[in-house]
Amino acid sequence: MKRKKVDLAQAPVTFAKGVDERYKAATPLRGLLNKVFPDHWSFLLGEIALFSFIILLLTGVFLTLFFDPSMKEVAYEGPYSALRGTEMSAAYESSLRLSFEVRGGLFMRQMHHWAALLFMASIVVHMARIFFTGAFRKPREANWAIGVVLFLLGFLAGFTGYSLPDDGLSGTGLRIASAIMLSIPVAGTWISASIFGGEFPGHLIIGRFYIAHVLLIPGGLLALISVHLGLVFAQKHTQWPGPMRTNTNVVGERMFPRYALKQGGFFMAVFGTVALMAGLFQINPIWLFGPYRASEVSSASQPDWYVMFMDGLVRLMPNWQIYIGDYSIPPLFWPAVVGLGALTTVPMFYPWIEARRLKDKTVHNLLQRPRDNPERVGIGAMSLAFFMVATLSGGNDVIADKFHISLNAMTWAGRIGLLILPPLAYYISVRVCLGLQQHDREVLAHGVETGIIRRLPNGQFIEVHQPLGPVDDHGHPIPLEYGGWVVPKKMNRVGALAPAIKGFFFPVEKPAEAPVSPGMPPVTGQEKREEITTGR
Amino acid sequence: MTSGSPAGRWRFRGVLARRRTAPSRARRRLGAAARMLAALALAGGVYTAFAPGAFAEDTTQLSATAQEGKQLYDNSCITCHGRDAQGVTGRGPSLIGVGSASVEFQVGTGRMPMTRQEAQAEEKKPQFDKTQTKQLGQYIQELGGGPQLPSDGKYTEDLKENPEALARGGELFRVNCTSCHGFGGGGGALSSGKYAPALHDASPETLYAAMLTGPQNMPVFGDNQLTPEQKREIITYVTVQLQQDKDPGGLFNLGRYGPVTEGLAIFGVGITILVFTALWIAGKS
Amino acid sequence: MTTVHDKSTDAPVDVTDPRLSRFEIVKEGARRDEIEIVTYESQFHGTDSKAEKRVVRNIALLFLIAGVGGFAFLGFYIWWPWRFELGDTLSDYYTPLLGISLAVSLFGVGFGILAWAKKLLPHEVSIQQRHNDPSPSDEQLITGQTMLFVADELGQGVQRRPLLKGAIAIGMAPIGLAAAAPLIGGLIENPHKDDPPIMFSTGFNKAHNGGNLVRLTRDDGSPIRPDDVSTGGQMTVFPGIPGGATNEWADSPTLLIHLRPDDAQLTRENADADVRNKGSMWGDYVAYSKICTHAGCPASLYEQQTNRLLCPCHQSQFLITRNAQPIFGPATRRLPMLPLGVDEEGFFVAKSDYKDTVGPDFWERP
Repeated sequence: MKRKKVDLAQAPVTFAKGVDERYKAATPLRGLLNKVFPDHWSFLLGEIALFSFIILLLTGVFLTLFFDPSMKEVAYEGPYSALRGTEMSAAYESSLRLSFEVRGGLFMRQMHHWAALLFMASIVVHMARIFFTGAFRKPREANWAIGVVLFLLGFLAGFTGYSLPDDGLSGTGLRIASAIMLSIPVAGTWISASIFGGEFPGHLIIGRFYIAHVLLIPGGLLALISVHLGLVFAQKHTQWPGPMRTNTNVVGERMFPRYALKQGGFFMAVFGTVALMAGLFQINPIWLFGPYRASEVSSASQPDWYVMFMDGLVRLMPNWQIYIGDYSIPPLFWPAVVGLGALTTVPMFYPWIEARRLKDKTVHNLLQRPRDNPERVGIGAMSLAFFMVATLSGGNDVIADKFHISLNAMTWAGRIGLLILPPLAYYISVRVCLGLQQHDREVLAHGVETGIIRRLPNGQFIEVHQPLGPVDDHGHPIPLEYGGWVVPKKMNRVGALAPAIKGFFFPVEKPAEAPVSPGMPPVTGQEKREEITTGR
Repeated sequence: MTSGSPAGRWRFRGVLARRRTAPSRARRRLGAAARMLAALALAGGVYTAFAPGAFAEDTTQLSATAQEGKQLYDNSCITCHGRDAQGVTGRGPSLIGVGSASVEFQVGTGRMPMTRQEAQAEEKKPQFDKTQTKQLGQYIQELGGGPQLPSDGKYTEDLKENPEALARGGELFRVNCTSCHGFGGGGGALSSGKYAPALHDASPETLYAAMLTGPQNMPVFGDNQLTPEQKREIITYVTVQLQQDKDPGGLFNLGRYGPVTEGLAIFGVGITILVFTALWIAGKS
Repeated sequence: MTTVHDKSTDAPVDVTDPRLSRFEIVKEGARRDEIEIVTYESQFHGTDSKAEKRVVRNIALLFLIAGVGGFAFLGFYIWWPWRFELGDTLSDYYTPLLGISLAVSLFGVGFGILAWAKKLLPHEVSIQQRHNDPSPSDEQLITGQTMLFVADELGQGVQRRPLLKGAIAIGMAPIGLAAAAPLIGGLIENPHKDDPPIMFSTGFNKAHNGGNLVRLTRDDGSPIRPDDVSTGGQMTVFPGIPGGATNEWADSPTLLIHLRPDDAQLTRENADADVRNKGSMWGDYVAYSKICTHAGCPASLYEQQTNRLLCPCHQSQFLITRNAQPIFGPATRRLPMLPLGVDEEGFFVAKSDYKDTVGPDFWERP
């Protein structure tokens, strides 16, 4: 009896020993538990994408249990009376069944759709963060390229998913996809016929898109996401410059206990947000769209938001057709095939292009404040402006209708905006960056403006500056070197007043409250520390 | 199709087609006669309208209601549509032959009188009450004839007696109406500042009058194209499915536009919530 | 407030020493992973701090809320009426209630965990060294030589033995092709194989109706008389052949328009001035393909006063009175006109198939 009791208490130890004897896991496991991650709000944006992908897998598996990817014609006999007796494809019928006859099915469908939109949105936001902070520089160029491929795969996953229910809107999207394939010179008709298995729409496309949507593309996404995260693990995360932080260390929290817990909590928050949106906002009501018919269409027919930039470019493209003898290249080819191709591949090479231009071969583990590389910010702002104009043009009919603007005027505004706004964005953002840089240098050279005006004996008024560093014999501040990090510009940031805002918008380690640096004597308090950390 | 179902579909169609293509000889004759009569009557009406001089003093022939309507017309409409509704070039079209249904639609929804000349007359608070609209309509009707709303005032189908009306109306709605008014009935943009209005607040009467008369840039759906029953089915679909049925997919339907408003929502709500959460997580406590 | 900073960790620690606290062992482990735990301090003053109790209460509350949300979700899921019913019914609130209760539950758990991590766990700053240096040069050399060795063994082995080289080339190429063949060969379809060719013909081609003229029909298959379409009206029509209104004939939907007399006059003049469209109208009626020549959406937003057709997908606009030439937007090509006629029974027929190619443009369109 007694021995059994001892065994129970010792069980985990015995088990752990057994595992290590077989797999030699102790050292790598400890390394994992101890891995240090830097802490900054902008480092969590990519996690949103990861977590929404997990939600997509979970909800997607549920949907496959009920969806029938078949284009066989059936008559609807379900509870939704406005379609009863209507001929439709089995795919559409099963989507309706999933929405109305599976308990909670509509909720799952909406979660899946919102998670997809969130996945793409967070990818874009995350990419913007990576780009503007220069996190793609050596040694992380390949991971940037993988990220761009992930966007493209997400784009394809989204489009195939959008097409599956075979409703009036998704059929229209497929029709445009077929027209885009047809527009490819020489091989266009062959490509379209091969993919659709004959003339549009054929009987195969839903089944083919289904296998792409549930197996091929998610498989690719899963593999690339693993590599993406594996590289982040192996190369360790970048960090902002700051006290103690160098190019050769990571300052932050160990994975356990705190960091992992935060990640878990954040996953729940992402999940909760998707659930909330799925409950509050109705995604496109396929039951109103009806089954796809080549003759039916709705005003305001759009692709999902991440495809909208392409649709917008197609809308803005002038009707320039190129004739070569008896053959021709339709205008659709340029924005939809060349445009999409260029917009998803050129960004992939940006890290190498920038390194080459700057002749930069060093390893960068410290992020750059956007202002410290105005040209990069300019290029980023230019791309974002282009993307925004194209995306807004993708919904220009809805904007025209809701704001009572002429549709033709919207198209022209888009055409002009696409040419004018990106250079303007470039110019403005570069100037803003230079201005911010200059102000940083000014404060470092002269100190913080105190707001105290002093009148000199000769009648001159001057503002008193609080030097940030030592002063010379005349009491003038000695200019400080710029450290690549926030320069305090207000008196309360250098401790003149209690901090006005409790660090909500600022990173964890504010310079003014920098933690004890390695050189400083420790504050003693051994007993108390033991109370917190010692186990039973 | 991989199976025999399209053939079945066609057979179903074939039955209908046979009925429609080969009506009995007698019925065809009867139809032809009726059409002839209608055409004669219409021609007569148009002739009467186009020869106002000959009937200049005939205003006395107007019924009492139409007389009231003429009063209103001469006060509010004559500037643009001219004396006896002949139209004024560059200001307003002739109203001869537009029928009382047009008046019901244009005046009843406040589109007429217009406040200013623009691409399209907008719906606003009606200036005339129901009786005045009726009087105006009567006046225009007696002046030049044209489509009239059904006298029985029946604009919708009773779903209890005729439950298939909803699905049939939906099918007709998607074939004939959605290209401009949208799957969700939210309306849509047309070329150069014109637009198809949203159907969310349209009354059955307005919908019927609009189909019958084709106001502004809307095509006309005469009774030969969409029978009164088919019109009632469409109206039933619009009122029951698009206006009264609460959306099952959420408290907010995002205008049933789909992608555009969803894109706004994912950034405005989803990304915003999560970025603030991230700020809070990484913020110093 | 407690702060831990100990420079003595440079010396190896005997972790079996029973006098060591667990935290000291953890620190030693971190040291071995080149991590220096700079601060690891409680966020509270003293053991019994009021602030700590408040935080604990809040976290407990959050978890309780999560539990309530979870139970609410289950309750709604099981007992709330969920079957679709027409009108404003309770079932319309099923999805919102599921969403809100699940969100409350997940937010409860999520923020509970987050608050625990953020407010309750000790504040920590650790520094881990990273190694940016590439592998030592001798390691690079060894691995490189190993790889070259492998290449030599295989490569030169083949080089030395020409028979092997040829055999491999001849043997491997077919295997690669054999792997690709079913994929390519199975998928590939000749778009021009049918007669009449699908890319250039529609359901209005007589060949699909046993050589007879094809009637124009509604989507239910019924034929159309001229007076079925009112002046200023339009109708979507399909070829009167089996399945003519289905997606089998996705290029065939046509818009039949009854123009007003003066517009019809203008349209006729313009059509008769054109080689292909000459004589294609019937009375005041004109029929254009509904399939946009740009991307194939139905260009069906008919404006009866301005006589324009608008495509809702990319806003191409076509002028009906001028042979449906595009006047705005990305479309380059006019909408094809269907030659209209009326048969002896008084129903609309297509006198022939479209003379222009229907649908979106492609490379080999003449």
